[in-house]
Amino acid sequence: MASAASLDVGRLVQEAEALASAVRGALGPRGGQMLLTRPTGETLLTRDGRRVLEALNLGPPTARMMVACVSRHHSMTGDGAKTFIILLSKLLRGLQAILDKREGSPFCEDIQRRESYQKHCHSLKQISQSLMTFQTHILDHIMAQDLRKHFLSAFSSWEGEISRDTMESILEAYFCGRIGNSHQKLLSQLSCDFYYKCISFKNGRNEMLNLVNEYFVELHSAVTGLPVSNSRILEGFVLHRDFAVYCPADGDIRMLIVTESIDSALSASGLEFVVNAEVQYQASQVWITKRTEAIMKHLQNNNIKVLLSSVKQQEIVIYYAKISGISIVECLSSEEISLLCKTTGISPFIPTRDNICSEITETMIAKFCQPLVLGSKRYVHLGLTKTCAFQPHCVIFCGPVHGVTEQHASAFHGAFKMLQQLFKAVDLSDGCEAQPETPVNGQQLKTSMAETEKQFIDFSSLVGENPSCNQTDLQKSADLAMPIVELESDFMFSALIDRGSSVRELQKPPVKCQHPSETWIKNKSEPVVTNHRICNDAMTAIENTSTSVVSKQLNSYKHTVQSYTNVVIQAGSVLPVGGNFEILLHYYLHSYAKQCQQPKITLISTVIADALLSIPKILYSTTKENSFTQVFFKATSALQTNQQLPMHQQGLESVYCKYQLVASVLHCVAKLLTIDLIIGIRRLPQKTEVNDSEEDL
Amino acid sequence: MSRIEAKKPSLCTNEPLTKERVSFSLSVLSGIVKSCYGPTGRLKQLHNGMGGYVRTTSQSSALLGGLSITHPVLKVLTASVQNHISRFSDCGLFTAILCCSLVENFQRINFAACTVTKISRHLLSLCTDYLKSEACGCRISVDFDSIKTLLSLVHSVLASKPACMLNKTEANHLSTLVLKAFLLTIPHTVETNVVLGKCVIVPVKDKRVMDSTVFPGLLIEIPESQLARTFPVIRVSSSTIKMALFCISLSGDLSNIGEGTVIVHHGISLEVAVLDQLLNLGKQLINDQVDLVVCQKVIHPSLKQYLEEHRVITIDRVGVSMMEPLSQMTGSQPIAALHSVSPTCYGSLKDLRTESFVSKNFLHLIPNDTLVCSLILCNRNEMAWDELKLACQTAEHVLQLTIKQPLALLGGGCTETHLASYIRHKSFTLPASVLKAIDCSRTQYQLVADAFSRSLECVACCLEHDDGEILTDMVYGHFWSVQSGFPSDCNWSDLVLKCGCGICSNQQNLNWTVLQSQCIPFTPQSCSNEPSVNSTDHLVLDCFTAKCSGLQVAVETTNLILDLSYIVEDQN
Repeated sequence: MASAASLDVGRLVQEAEALASAVRGALGPRGGQMLLTRPTGETLLTRDGRRVLEALNLGPPTARMMVACVSRHHSMTGDGAKTFIILLSKLLRGLQAILDKREGSPFCEDIQRRESYQKHCHSLKQISQSLMTFQTHILDHIMAQDLRKHFLSAFSSWEGEISRDTMESILEAYFCGRIGNSHQKLLSQLSCDFYYKCISFKNGRNEMLNLVNEYFVELHSAVTGLPVSNSRILEGFVLHRDFAVYCPADGDIRMLIVTESIDSALSASGLEFVVNAEVQYQASQVWITKRTEAIMKHLQNNNIKVLLSSVKQQEIVIYYAKISGISIVECLSSEEISLLCKTTGISPFIPTRDNICSEITETMIAKFCQPLVLGSKRYVHLGLTKTCAFQPHCVIFCGPVHGVTEQHASAFHGAFKMLQQLFKAVDLSDGCEAQPETPVNGQQLKTSMAETEKQFIDFSSLVGENPSCNQTDLQKSADLAMPIVELESDFMFSALIDRGSSVRELQKPPVKCQHPSETWIKNKSEPVVTNHRICNDAMTAIENTSTSVVSKQLNSYKHTVQSYTNVVIQAGSVLPVGGNFEILLHYYLHSYAKQCQQPKITLISTVIADALLSIPKILYSTTKENSFTQVFFKATSALQTNQQLPMHQQGLESVYCKYQLVASVLHCVAKLLTIDLIIGIRRLPQKTEVNDSEEDL
Repeated sequence: MSRIEAKKPSLCTNEPLTKERVSFSLSVLSGIVKSCYGPTGRLKQLHNGMGGYVRTTSQSSALLGGLSITHPVLKVLTASVQNHISRFSDCGLFTAILCCSLVENFQRINFAACTVTKISRHLLSLCTDYLKSEACGCRISVDFDSIKTLLSLVHSVLASKPACMLNKTEANHLSTLVLKAFLLTIPHTVETNVVLGKCVIVPVKDKRVMDSTVFPGLLIEIPESQLARTFPVIRVSSSTIKMALFCISLSGDLSNIGEGTVIVHHGISLEVAVLDQLLNLGKQLINDQVDLVVCQKVIHPSLKQYLEEHRVITIDRVGVSMMEPLSQMTGSQPIAALHSVSPTCYGSLKDLRTESFVSKNFLHLIPNDTLVCSLILCNRNEMAWDELKLACQTAEHVLQLTIKQPLALLGGGCTETHLASYIRHKSFTLPASVLKAIDCSRTQYQLVADAFSRSLECVACCLEHDDGEILTDMVYGHFWSVQSGFPSDCNWSDLVLKCGCGICSNQQNLNWTVLQSQCIPFTPQSCSNEPSVNSTDHLVLDCFTAKCSGLQVAVETTNLILDLSYIVEDQN
């Protein structure tokens, strides 16, 4: 018989807190390492919350679901697993407190149910729904309205270039959390070098990051038994195979990719080979050998020096290759082949009757192709001359044990995932990415408010988006606590007007701001119409709007100018590390809650705001100089007087990752609370896991 | 379905280093490795208690490979030592002992892990910078013009393995052989990419160590019956021997049929067809005046007989490991075709002889250019032979590393004591700006530095197993040992003879003190100008690359272990 149990929030809280306590020790720069052992006896060192949580092999289905949520979030952003689970546990704890209160709680009112169980379920459902409403509407709203003025931009100019100092402080902060302070400096230097070496031109950034993330396994090698300081970056690719034949060659080396055996077999699949006489058999054997010889001669005549093969070639091929002075690398993985094809843009060569005599065009050219000994293994080191947006480089991780090299490799990979997230932007609503309005808004600053109004309407009718864009909204004054019902329809434009009415005030931050529109107009005096066209590309648009310079020196930090966009988070938005994001969000959520009319949302906002504070609390619990209360007090008083936030640590983190984290946690909690029964069944144990289809609310 | 078992939840341990279980297992392991260290180290016998093979050893690679370690913290420690050994072969015990004593000493001072980690990383960088600088007082450069330092290196490796059971003459003899074998693998013509040849160790047990020898070229064991048939070799005209090397099977099996079906009509024998091809191949070989045919796999008896009738010597089943040295040594290319063999593939040999040892007969292939050599290694019994083979391989590896970086460190504990006094001295004169960068107080730094130096000295102390007194001098910071049972009213200078590495002798007034006693920090001097550097006696030297890396690996592993805050053990 199936056993069923109703969802107990108390249990959820216990589970989440147990999980959080497992990773708490590794949070932040002063946290320690975790040691995991696998059933095979291997040991793995890590500070990666996801790895730890997955290694726990938990029994309870709800706890497993939490871990699954963490994993999904982590695989997307490359970071934040520990923060996720700590935030989750605090949030659940806060919600439990609401439920326990019952009396006077907005979630228990106006329900006339007889059974307390149903009542309980109903209030859970209510909370879950409010959480989702909060996530989809209010979170974005607060990010766009309040938090955004604190964001810094990672880009050093409007062209969207990122300076090395900024990059280093972002990466250093990331590695601080991922591997601790022992080798943080080395790895952030390494990844910074890797980034700048791999990027060939600045528009190729996203393409490069995509390639690095997709093919990271092929782009790194690990050597155990050497000190960590021997880790380095090599130019070119390291193919994880040895030469089957190596013939040294100088100058430009022409190379060919093959995906099948060059030597043909006596019979192919689906065909029959009939032997009528012994002589015939011998003749066909001779023919096969001659054909292979002819192909290899043909390759030699085409000046091919290296054959890269995805399959194992026959000994006869190797023999003729050696005679013709052609090196062969065989058994390359399909990923390695596709990486090579992608970076060089060539396709594999297939020897057929037709092309055996014609010239071979699908070749790539290498500067060098030589054996490389890493540890005890021999690899092929390949330096290509002509490549795409990605300049081939690879990383060698050294460490005393496998656990260390693996930790470094996964942290390095995570860093590049994080960078990918850093260059993403969030729009107000998920549906309308890359809106043409975005860049034009920069222009509007110069023109008068009346003109702005007109253009807004023009654009919106041009796009056909939100035709009922009511002019009345434009007259509306900035209202922080907007009724949720109206949010969807007029959110976008009221937000814009918000900015518009306060634009003169914004001009007076303590540090002198450079006006985005000024640079825009000075550098590109093109008509507005062309701007439209240019800016259809969301990426360029976003890069154009970011103007401030962030450098490592604290005093030269400048505020990002608030340009008129409906982008919640611009690409490259960063905040200083050390719980700044959490404190800011806490502060603004609280002030939002005070003004909010709806009791449910007020309550939820307060709970979320309080849960957010748990992260800086842990971060500052171990340091000597700054206690959490001091930091928090200073930050809040600075916010109340509209001053810049005091900073305690150098280093920056991506706002997008943080935003995603909060959104994912809210999702996870909402999902957990919608479950009313947990049913244990006998058949397959893995089936007892909570089904993911309950996600849609 | 009942077979599916739910996974057991993992076992979690918080703050593992404070637990009794760790410190106990660590002290056991450290006891084992410490007692094995050095020429007078104690031997360990490894057995499985069920009548299996018993191994007597004192070498880290055999020892750590044999121990089954269950505690995850110790697994990290042994894994990093084993990885070090697989890279460098040498200095495994040094790394293990240093790592154990660093963990023990750092735990004793009981600071926050991240402070200790930061300081010890700085201390490590001080050490490595010092070792790599010209001013380093505990290293000497290796002169390839004379074999003396190279011989000292090999001798030190062999002498530090007591389980080989070598006496002084045997150790000298073997050192010479290993060095000779290594020199034979260096190519005569130096190009940009130097590829060293290979030294093949041929086992001959039940003979005296003094019977070991080195032959240039390869020795291939052949049965006696074949020996009688093939010899004496009658050479055709030319003075060199032409050789063909095959990497495919010449046994007449059908190769590469493909994925489809092959239909053979009645009365047709493919085997006959293939054999026909093989005999044609034989004809070609004879026409090309090939004297020797070597095949990695099997040669068909008919072909063998046919070739032997025509005075061609055949050797088959040499195995894949012999293929590379064979082709390297003779210049022949492995042939993979059954017909139209290109004459450019043939290689040549200078001479072909027979050798016999005990009951084994060998064909001795003598090349024109020696890149490959065979070391016939003899020892009295199986156990000692295994140990000796490992020691010889280590020595060969040490020589290879030394040719890449021609430096050697002073052995016999002198490098450790010298470094320890250097670190002590440095920690007292450290500028305040450095302390600020590390974010620690001077007292903290000095305490960690003291623990670091103590750990280094502890490694040196492990060389003494017989209750002797260990001294250090206040000039060079070298290691001196005094045998136990000395009269209490003696001067230290009457008791000591030579320092651990053999570079300093008891001539100067060196101001000895007992090691690890509190003394004023001093700058240790370099002694590479001492006259004894050029004396005839063996110095005790260690491989520079291996020891430097061992030091770094030990400190890094210690930092890893100290930084552990949580253990999750999978119980499945």
